[in-house]
Amino acid sequence: MKKNLTLLIGGIQGEGVVSLGTNLMKTLSNLGYYTYGNRNFSSRIKGGNTTMTISIGVEKQLCSKDGLDIILALDKETIDLFNCKLKPNGLILFDSILSSKDLNYKEDSLIPLPITEIAKDLSAPIIKNTRALGFLGRLMGLEQNELSQSLKEKYHTKGDEIVEKNLKALKESYNYDGDIFNKEEYFLSISEKKSSKAVMMGNEAIGFGALMAGCRFIPSYPITPASEVMEYMGKVLPRYGGAMVQVEDEIAAITMAVGVSYGGVRSMTATSGPGISLMMEGIGLAGITETPVVIADIQRGGPSTGLPTKHEQSDLFAIYYGGHGEYSNIILSPSTVEDCFYDTIRAFNLADKYQCPVFILSDLSLGLSPQTIDDLDYNQVVIDRGKIVIKDELSNIERGTFKRYELTKDGVSPRSFPGIINGGHHVTGIEHNELGLPLEKPENRKNMMEKRLNKTAPLENDESIDIYRTNNGNNTLFLTFGSIFGAIKEAAYLSGKKIDFGAIRMIRPLPKKQLTFLLENYDKIVVVENNYRKQLASIIKEELGYHSKIHSITKYDGTNFTINELVEKIGEWA
Amino acid sequence: MATMQDYSNKVTPTWCPGCGHFSILRAIQVAASKLEIPIDKFASITGIGCSGRLSGYLNGYSFHGIHGRSLPIAQGIKMANKELVVIAAGGDGDGFAIGTSHTLHAIRRNLNMTYIVLNNQIYGLTKGHTSPLSDTGLETKSTPFGSMDNPLKPGITALAAGATYLAQGFSGLQDQLIDIIVKGIEHDGFSIINVFSPCVTFNKVNTYQWYRENIKNIDEDSTYDSSNYQAAMNKLIETDGLCSGIIYQKNEPSFLDRLQGKDAKPLTDLNLKISKDEFENLLNKFK
Ligand SMILES: Cc1ncc(C[n+]2csc(CCOP(=O)(O)OP(=O)(O)O)c2C)c(N)n1
Ligand code: SF4
Repeated sequence: MKKNLTLLIGGIQGEGVVSLGTNLMKTLSNLGYYTYGNRNFSSRIKGGNTTMTISIGVEKQLCSKDGLDIILALDKETIDLFNCKLKPNGLILFDSILSSKDLNYKEDSLIPLPITEIAKDLSAPIIKNTRALGFLGRLMGLEQNELSQSLKEKYHTKGDEIVEKNLKALKESYNYDGDIFNKEEYFLSISEKKSSKAVMMGNEAIGFGALMAGCRFIPSYPITPASEVMEYMGKVLPRYGGAMVQVEDEIAAITMAVGVSYGGVRSMTATSGPGISLMMEGIGLAGITETPVVIADIQRGGPSTGLPTKHEQSDLFAIYYGGHGEYSNIILSPSTVEDCFYDTIRAFNLADKYQCPVFILSDLSLGLSPQTIDDLDYNQVVIDRGKIVIKDELSNIERGTFKRYELTKDGVSPRSFPGIINGGHHVTGIEHNELGLPLEKPENRKNMMEKRLNKTAPLENDESIDIYRTNNGNNTLFLTFGSIFGAIKEAAYLSGKKIDFGAIRMIRPLPKKQLTFLLENYDKIVVVENNYRKQLASIIKEELGYHSKIHSITKYDGTNFTINELVEKIGEWA
Repeated sequence: MATMQDYSNKVTPTWCPGCGHFSILRAIQVAASKLEIPIDKFASITGIGCSGRLSGYLNGYSFHGIHGRSLPIAQGIKMANKELVVIAAGGDGDGFAIGTSHTLHAIRRNLNMTYIVLNNQIYGLTKGHTSPLSDTGLETKSTPFGSMDNPLKPGITALAAGATYLAQGFSGLQDQLIDIIVKGIEHDGFSIINVFSPCVTFNKVNTYQWYRENIKNIDEDSTYDSSNYQAAMNKLIETDGLCSGIIYQKNEPSFLDRLQGKDAKPLTDLNLKISKDEFENLLNKFK
């Protein structure tokens, strides 16, 4: 019996590896297990090897584990590439159409299974996945009816015939007679039946969060690894009266989002590095016109097309410093799928409160790794539109006197939306006066610059760093952002060192108060990030000093940290 | 009764005396007053250029954005609140150099709004550089030996992109200009109006006089049928694009009509609250 198990499913890209993996994850999550799926794919659509590594356990899974207990190989390449990661007692299940003679690996861990064979009888490609699901489920000691239930749920919209065929295939593979299925070595143990949980990717959580936050329009341009945000919203928004539109490019996406927001509707766009580069001028427009807008940046390897399907966290400088001129923006950096949901809602509220662009800085691993999540809390869904004028509020003022850019104490001025009586005003990307009309005078410029650049300062006092302490006396804090958090958490646990670690959830404005406290109280802060130039560490040093206390661990080869790597690196510091 | 003054914010334009853009501003104000557009529902959006300043002289809600991007901003505003009357405007550089792609895609999306090109066949604001609509051979600051590129044909380009309303006007022909703007606003779909608007300071070739001599007025041809696509193309080819009036018009649903149907509420009026049950349903989709 196992409490944790790591499984790799590999095959030819485009043949349903991900769908099989997700299906298995959903079944397990329904039963109360936690799963984490790590997809590895190339830019090719069909052909080429693709894999999904699924970590399964009774406790929360936040990253991929290093060693493999089971490999399910639908092609030979999977075995060649991954057998080196198999644990000593690991198993390789392979499709028996691959001849075992070609497979140079020690015989006793190789288990041929008739996956394609019977699938052919039933003549549908999805059947192959169902067959594989049957074998895996049996091996892990899941009940057949639990698996059937998940298939029914998955295929019920496709008609009875498809459901029947799949159930038949499942039954045949589940009842297949093989020695391996009679051992309980790979059975999963779960002490009590836990409540069923959802399987979600960071990108879907951003879409879902945006919907709950009242976002009703998303113009977007497809790009890996961000497209799922627009895809999810395109599916759900029309039901709530909203719309997703695939526009001609990212420049249109950001400027249209600005237009929608100016028009009075919450709007966002989602992209990755190349799109961020194209959006910069539009983001600056939102900055100077003080128009709220939310931009999700799901980072991938850059610059240029870089590593389009690989993980990196190198856009931080671009969005922290980016665009010409100076303006406030806010950067939130969720580190789990649940964070993606809550931070997206927060992003919309902050955008409205401070009337500026807000980034949700995610990364490929966080955006695209499906995982079992804890229940999302409906009560945390709060919509706060900030300072806005409501319908008749201005009926007594003279037309043309509404001060859209009124100099207020907190630097934020009420917005009025087109359609509101007497709220009409001019908006321009040119420096302007309180009425919004162009004005270049130095005094006005200075006032307006200070208005726009100081207004987010209160956020510097926010406690935006989630800290996990173990109080073991070691005075080092490992600080990270994005998906690395999951790997650090696991590594901290595995290393047995009981280290303190934390995830920063808002990078701009930097939570200076909390950071200063941490820098005063720790001997060292080691910043862990996936880029070459130590971007987060540099920003903290630039803003706060403490050069001798801030250290870095970086990785920039297109892959996230593995747990073993982190255990080793942590060992060097703690 | 609305008057054209109602649509002016009384700011004095910074344009050179005699600039063609004055007549376009006036024509928009007159058209708006003829249609009695409620001022609080009137949104004008412009790009950057001498032309881009136009929104800064209009009453109502006006948005002066960035170079070449008036259309995506304007479409965003229209998508947010389809009850607004939305007019986008910009120069020939704005709409046919840096923003060409938005022009074509806005035409395809066919939202019910109006786009006016203030076409002086040159870049005014940058002080006389060539435009994609400059004639070959035009000497400008950036083409000291004459423009070497072939000009883009805005009319044919718009028709090829599927424009549901295409008209052309001339700053020196006020009545017709007002008329095509009125009809463009009334058109249920995207209307593109290309207006020849002389830059008296930097374009010494395409002057008022030159346009007067070269533009054919379609209104003088009583047999012309603006619902005939072939005829429209022919007219543009015959006149080398130098014709004024309504060139083509047809009816087709917009992006929003197709997605949500004609009767859907404006996005601004939606109830944003999603109930707990709905939330659970959405979450269950991931189970
Ligand atoms: C991204 C960007 N590039 C260049 C400019 C400089 N620029 C301002 S207006 C303009 C062209 C103006 O020509 P046109 O659009 O024809 O308008 P006009 O001034 O003739 O009315 C240019 C190139 C800019 N503002 N933004
Ligand atoms: S430079 Fe040309 S386009 Fe600009 S205001 Fe003067 S005349 Fe008009």
